Amino acid sequence: MEGEAGNFTAKLKSEPRFIDPLRCTGCGDCAKVCPVTCVSEHNCGLDRRAATYIRYAQAVPLVFAIDPEICIGCGLCEKVCLAEAVKYDDQPRYNDLKIGSVILATGNEVFNPSDFDTYNYALLPNVITSMEFERILSASGPYRGHLMRPYDREEPKKVAWLQCVGSRDTHHCDNPYCSGVCCMYAIKEAVIAKEHSHSGMEAAIFFMDMRTHGKDFEAYYDKAKEEGVRFVRSRVHSVEPVGDGDLEITYADETGEIKQEIFNLVILSVGFQVGQEGMELAGKLGVDLNENRFVKTESFAPVATSREGIYVCGAFQGPKDIPQSVMEASAAASASSLLLNDVRWTEAKVKEKPTERNILGERPKVGVFVCQCGINIGGIVNIPEVREYAKTLPYVVYVEDNLYTCSQDTQVKMAQVIKEQGINRVVVAACTPRTHEPLFQETMSNAELNKYLFEMANIRNQDSWVHSGDPTQATEKAKDLVRMAISKVTLLEPLKESELGVTRKAMVVGGGVAGMVAAKDIADQGYPVYLVEKSSQLGGQAKKLFQTWRGESIPAYAEGLAKEIENHPNIKVYLNSELKHVDGFVGNFKSTIQNGGEPEPVEHGITIIATGGKEFQSEEYSYKKHPRIVTHQELDQRFNENDPSLRSINSAVFVQCVGSREPDRPYCSRVCCTHSVESALELKKINPESDVYVLYRDMRTYGERELIYQEARREGVIFIRYSLENKPQVEVVDGKVQVTVFDPILQRSIRMQPDLVTLATAILPNETDALSQFFKVPVNAEGFFIEAHAKLRPVDFSTDGVFLCGLAHYPKAIDESIAQARAAAARAATLLARDSIFFSGMVAFTRPIDCSSCGVCVSICPFNAPRFIETGRDAGKAEINPALCKGCGLCVASCRSGAIGLRGFDDSQIFAMIDSV
Amino acid sequence: MQAYTERIREAAKRLLSDGKVDVVIGFRKGTIPFMNEPYLAKTAEQVDQLVWDGNCGVNLANYLPKRTDRVAVVAKGCDSRNIVEHIVENQIKREQLHILGAPCKGMIDKRRIKAELKGKEPTSVEETEGEIEIKGRDLKLTLNRSDFLQENCAICIHRNPVLYDDLVGDLVEEQKDVDRYADVRQVEAMSTEEKWRHFDDLIAGCIRCYACRNACPACYCPTCFVDESRPQWVGKTIDPTDTRTFHFLRAYHLAGRCTDCGACERSCPVDIKMRQFTKKLEKDVKELFDYEAGINPEMRPALDFYRPDDPQAFIK
Amino acid sequence: MSNWEPKIIAFLCNWCSYGAADLAGVSRMQYPPNFRVIRVPCTGRINPKFILSALRHGADGVWVSGCHPGDCHYIEGNLYARRKFALLKNLLEHTGIEPKRLHFSWISSAEATKFADVAREVIRTVKEAGPAQHFIKKQAEVA
Ligand SMILES: Cc1cc2nc3c(=O)[nH]c(=O)nc-3n(C[C@H](O)[C@H](O)[C@H](O)COP(=O)(O)OP(=O)(O)OC[C@H]3O[C@@H](n4cnc5c(N)ncnc54)[C@H](O)[C@@H]3O)c2cc1C
Ligand code: SF4
Ligand code: SF4
Ligand code: SF4
Ligand code: SF4
Ligand code: SF4
Ligand code: FES
Repeated sequence: MEGEAGNFTAKLKSEPRFIDPLRCTGCGDCAKVCPVTCVSEHNCGLDRRAATYIRYAQAVPLVFAIDPEICIGCGLCEKVCLAEAVKYDDQPRYNDLKIGSVILATGNEVFNPSDFDTYNYALLPNVITSMEFERILSASGPYRGHLMRPYDREEPKKVAWLQCVGSRDTHHCDNPYCSGVCCMYAIKEAVIAKEHSHSGMEAAIFFMDMRTHGKDFEAYYDKAKEEGVRFVRSRVHSVEPVGDGDLEITYADETGEIKQEIFNLVILSVGFQVGQEGMELAGKLGVDLNENRFVKTESFAPVATSREGIYVCGAFQGPKDIPQSVMEASAAASASSLLLNDVRWTEAKVKEKPTERNILGERPKVGVFVCQCGINIGGIVNIPEVREYAKTLPYVVYVEDNLYTCSQDTQVKMAQVIKEQGINRVVVAACTPRTHEPLFQETMSNAELNKYLFEMANIRNQDSWVHSGDPTQATEKAKDLVRMAISKVTLLEPLKESELGVTRKAMVVGGGVAGMVAAKDIADQGYPVYLVEKSSQLGGQAKKLFQTWRGESIPAYAEGLAKEIENHPNIKVYLNSELKHVDGFVGNFKSTIQNGGEPEPVEHGITIIATGGKEFQSEEYSYKKHPRIVTHQELDQRFNENDPSLRSINSAVFVQCVGSREPDRPYCSRVCCTHSVESALELKKINPESDVYVLYRDMRTYGERELIYQEARREGVIFIRYSLENKPQVEVVDGKVQVTVFDPILQRSIRMQPDLVTLATAILPNETDALSQFFKVPVNAEGFFIEAHAKLRPVDFSTDGVFLCGLAHYPKAIDESIAQARAAAARAATLLARDSIFFSGMVAFTRPIDCSSCGVCVSICPFNAPRFIETGRDAGKAEINPALCKGCGLCVASCRSGAIGLRGFDDSQIFAMIDSV
Repeated sequence: MQAYTERIREAAKRLLSDGKVDVVIGFRKGTIPFMNEPYLAKTAEQVDQLVWDGNCGVNLANYLPKRTDRVAVVAKGCDSRNIVEHIVENQIKREQLHILGAPCKGMIDKRRIKAELKGKEPTSVEETEGEIEIKGRDLKLTLNRSDFLQENCAICIHRNPVLYDDLVGDLVEEQKDVDRYADVRQVEAMSTEEKWRHFDDLIAGCIRCYACRNACPACYCPTCFVDESRPQWVGKTIDPTDTRTFHFLRAYHLAGRCTDCGACERSCPVDIKMRQFTKKLEKDVKELFDYEAGINPEMRPALDFYRPDDPQAFIK
Repeated sequence: MSNWEPKIIAFLCNWCSYGAADLAGVSRMQYPPNFRVIRVPCTGRINPKFILSALRHGADGVWVSGCHPGDCHYIEGNLYARRKFALLKNLLEHTGIEPKRLHFSWISSAEATKFADVAREVIRTVKEAGPAQHFIKKQAEVA
């Protein structure tokens, strides 16, 4: 790659596929005849695949390729492929891409434990990696989701997981960091395996620290314990074969005692590492890696690499789970679009909107196209019979069958036929609407018909392919399916995709780091932002913190950012202000900001909620009873002020999980472990002679934060574990602070009189009620907002046009808040960058005359689309906002009064299909 | 009973003369014994017609939907639960209502009394705490009140109103240890074929007059599903499948909403026991979702919300 | 009677079980051809009326399948539906419909094996129940 930010030229090589993706229909006939096989990479070598293959059945696009490494050139696949897609002389293709920025999302490798001789992974078939086990559990995996072990395909009755294989380890490998995901996936695998088991499988997880620091993870951990998953705090020495395929684990428990236990299957919870390819790629692009070989970034610019214009996200940036990867992905998109803001849309091609024939008042004229799909349908289903049958059905005016209905030439012909015959409804009997509906709808548009006047009969995937042994019945079924499709299509009506203007302004609620970063990203792209902050200044919690775990000063960053925000021409900051009222919906919000005494109405197209959180304070551990018992933020303030009294601290104690991971606040506050380690190190730095203790339940220095945990131990910080049942005591005795804790290694209580006790207290969300009501966005039992999807949509709400970031979502570190804020900005920009938005035609609508005002629809719609009409003749009746409705049909099916219809899936249409079965 | 009547009149007069409400909905004596009829009193004179006794089984909540004026309404335990539902389901606003709670000891089942009278015509009926005294030509009968209650009242566990502004009598003790679902369990124990026949017989006489639907406060749809025309999928005749579809879906529409007030059965001219459908639903709603209809004005009916851990053993 | 084959109506959610049925096809899993699929946007779309209507039209069995809890494309449609179906199934059975005729499942779009397994099981149990006798609306005697 050459050039510089905004103007790169990348040379891209595409390997030959040997099968033309434009012609391949994904039928898989080639793979069936291919005589050679090799192990399937996708299933981690647990089963085999042919030389013509797809990576996995859900691949998009669903087209095959030939693996030249194993193909013997026999020519069989070319012979069977009626679509003529096989091209043995395919060549690599080279492209020069003119690009402005690059996003690295290449992930990394899963650690290969073959070199761990004590675990015998390479020798014993029943010692497998967690990735192999993921495949085993998968319904589309090598064993089709049946719980079996590789050696004898028996269902294991006792399964062990060994944590931290290839992570937190500098002896067997060079991976000092924690991979951050293994604890949680091991619990998940154990729970799912137990569900798949027929014989009440026993699960045991051997771990050092249980790191369930993500949102709702701790609750999942608690539940797994309840369901009988055993958690063994230990260090595993070796795995040895015993009996017929079983395995004996030797481990030291917490007190150091050596124990043995036999299992049927052992799973190594392997971590991430950046592999050779990743390092080479970084080298080629001139991007720096850090000491752990992840792409080097800074806390305040978590997706920027060392080379301008190149961004990074996901596991290549550092070990992390899916939600965090998805957030970073959007953050990288935001960073990249800032760079390219000036050229936005310049490469976009506007598709001409085809004219549409008005079919109002016409009686249905149905055209039926029956596909043979080579021999895929035609080889089983008697196509001529289906064709002739279709001709006898009401409203059918035209029927034909095609070798491949989806092929380019048939599509052109089909559009012609539709026009010539005056067809106004189309049924295609072929594969499945899930893959092919868009293609045929495109042809509908080309034929000047509204694309919704279309229905498919699935006579391949759900007929010929699954009843190949019974051609007669398959043909009968095909006829039924065609009849059902026709009965529905005659009732379909043209649907309009409504268009709505967008107010290209943003509202950000909350002026902490997350809110400021989101506001800045949006404003830098040229959109006006209203930033509403409750308090008298910007900055939020960041002002009360000292530094990141990498040692970067947080207040300095926050102040700089606040200045930029205040001086930004596109940002209007409202201090001492709150939202008082909100109306409208995506693209068109109308809100009132209470700014001091004055209410100010504003209009905005999107909203970002970044209302943050705060430090928990309780009476526990004698807090407030003695000036030497403080919270993290109080200690940070003393660091910030360079308090000279810190130099005279000779002994300090940190107490972890204060108010977190307790029955009435079951979540982990995520940041406190790292915070304590970092503060412990700082105290050591100030006074190297001091004794520093951290009393913890599990040290959760996830990811690369693990490195400062190791450093702290090297520096002599002493870590003592306690349990929830046996918490330490902090008392004030004769004016002195006294700490008592039970040491599980020494098996006795220790008493200390430290100069300082720091309580690592929980993070609480700020007040959320009003916003939750204004924007109809949900809040969980603990007061954090609930995102649209925990894994895949971590910054969206289910309410369109509203996004979230920062502590309001869940406790997180500043780099993570920044990434999430940039992600929210990127998601918001997808709306702000447009003049108008289109909405699907498949939406629900009410018939006010039938509405009884019962409110069922209003209360159950997941997207808050229905509401009561406020004025006029139909006041009090429900109406549905087509801009918010997603067409799920829940309200339609729940309305007792039959007052709601659903375009495209209306009652009459479904009844018609039932009628004609 | 007399005490209730007086307190109802007293409250009604006060509310009307203070201009607090525009109308008071209660009961007045019917033309035949055991048949009080709902009555809307708007003036002080009309108030004197208001009465209370064991023949006030009609559910007055049925008179509330879509009213726009301010209303005082006399409410038994079940009526009050239907009122709660009306409020939740936007059929009337709480602010419009003044609820005169009438703690209830059960309504009298006129059909049972009739059977006891064996064709004789009563001319006067006196009700006391525990007894009913019936007089007529060569007729003088003292009946134990609790033996002649409506079926639903005999097993009622919410006799006291759940929501009220004033009480017109002292709160009564709720019945404990009643077995609400003996009849449901009896059917549950049958074989599938027996169940089918049981319900076939149960509704065999139905003439589809819809009196049951009309008496039910929770049935307030402008167009009932049986009259739907988009498409018309249930026939309107007394074809057994259509009749069953009507009873089945009517009951289903009351899932988590029926308060077992008995108004439907009470109104049926041919004595169909259609509570057999709704009670099964009531039992399941209680067992599966731990929900009772019309108790909590903050809560929507059971099918309008869910819990993540709702039972799903029936789903593969 | 011996060659009687049941007719089963399957309401499949577009986002999951319908996809699983497609994937079962891609993997060429085999199951008997007894059911006819009606694709719906979500299990939340399924009005109890549809199930009654299916029975009224003489379906020997009804099968409803949607996304696992937490995976609904519309977030929570299936969780509302779960409540509805629980009551509907119980009431149908209580009033004399053979439990073997009514089937509900959660099948994700990746669970082709589960789809084929459940399909076979549904067909097998409906067969055990025999031809539908009840709730059928007798058509005018033409056929
Ligand atoms: C065993 C295991 C279990 C896990 N379980 C969970 C879990 O249950 N929940 C959870 O949230 N997280 C889990 N994770 C973590 C999760 O997998 C990661 O957080 C996430 O997948 C990272 O996404 P990514 O896009 O960064 O990387 P990847 O998923 O690795 O994707 C990178 C992509 O880039 C492609 N690529 C690589 N190099 C190039 C190149 N040079 N050019 C073009 N393309 C390239 C790769 O082929 C790949 O498709 C697990 C991880 C492991 C190892
Ligand atoms: S559910 Fe139906 S009757 Fe009830 S408010 Fe909505 S549209 Fe009206
Ligand atoms: S169809 Fe779904 S999204 Fe649309 S209004 Fe009804 S419940 Fe809401
Ligand atoms: S059950 Fe009775 S009241 Fe109801 S429709 Fe039938 S006959 Fe009429
Ligand atoms: S039975 Fe159902 S549709 Fe008919 S009025 Fe009652 S609630 Fe409405
Ligand atoms: S169905 Fe009958 S018992 Fe239930 S609320 Fe309606 S009238 Fe009362
Ligand atoms: S989308 Fe599949 S059940 Fe809702």
